[in-house]
Amino acid sequence: MQFFGGSEISPSPPMPTASGNNGHMMYIFNRNGICLLYREWNRPLKTLSSQQDYKLMFGLLFSLKSLTAKMDPTSVEKGNLGVPQLPGQGCSFHSFRTNTYKLSFMESPSGIKIILVTHPRTGDQRESLKYIYNLYVEYVVKNPLYSPGNPIQCELFNTTVDQYVRGLG
Amino acid sequence: MGREVSESCVESLLAEIVSSYCNGFYANKPELAARRIEAIGFQVGHQLSERYTMDRPRFTDHLEAIKFICKDFWSELFKKQIDNLKTNHRGTFVLQDNRFRWLAHMSVDPSVETSGSIQDPSAMAENKAAQATGMHLYFPCGIIRGALSNLGIPCAVSADISSLPACSFVVRIKA
Repeated sequence: MQFFGGSEISPSPPMPTASGNNGHMMYIFNRNGICLLYREWNRPLKTLSSQQDYKLMFGLLFSLKSLTAKMDPTSVEKGNLGVPQLPGQGCSFHSFRTNTYKLSFMESPSGIKIILVTHPRTGDQRESLKYIYNLYVEYVVKNPLYSPGNPIQCELFNTTVDQYVRGLG
Repeated sequence: MGREVSESCVESLLAEIVSSYCNGFYANKPELAARRIEAIGFQVGHQLSERYTMDRPRFTDHLEAIKFICKDFWSELFKKQIDNLKTNHRGTFVLQDNRFRWLAHMSVDPSVETSGSIQDPSAMAENKAAQATGMHLYFPCGIIRGALSNLGIPCAVSADISSLPACSFVVRIKA
């Protein structure tokens, strides 16, 4: 049983609502801010160098997570900010949207952050991000040839993720 | 025989065996590491075949034993049977599994560095993949050799990876 309660690789990933190339790009960071993976499918505008881009993205999400948790009006006891929690527990920021794109975010208890940037009218991507995390576990973590903390260079993972994201609505 | 073990646990353990033998104990001697890993597999196969043939009569000939390996033994280990069995009727058998479970999660770096090498990129990529996964196949080869040896059939087993995640095990029975 995976920790999300799904079986081997979720046998039924979320159904795509419409066909077409919806995903713009995806980042995967580990707990230390190292960018493990950056995939790009549709990104006409690039303003920064790769390194600056990754640092900016990581810093942005770190700050957003803290901010959203601190501004939470509902829960009385904040607990320990910065402690990784299961997605959905505590107060976790999961997406923001502008008029040109939507950024969806998920962090696992082990500190793996997955960011998916898509078309602004895409629906809630939380299930999709969980599925991508499952793919990460199956094809990266369980790959004997991968050493943790290094950029991901596993062909199987790349192809499966590409296929999956292309099918997203 | 109803107790179960997590598959992730077994796969992680196997990966760690290969890693510690190749990078730790026998760091610069891959042949020694390979032999140790294969020997561990031999012991495991020996015991497993004892367990899985408990209620069966003795096998009449080599082909029956090989078929047992392909069907029942493989099902117990990998929840599927061998996809293709070939023989030259002179003591050599080729067992082909089109999606070997323990290789299913493995993949290599897709970017091939072309450092002015004469080999074409696709051959180089195949080579790297083959080398990396080769070490992980000594254990299953040992298992097959141990199982057959316990059934009274001494043999030599080697693996052949033409395409991940499919692989073939070549069993040569000693005359």
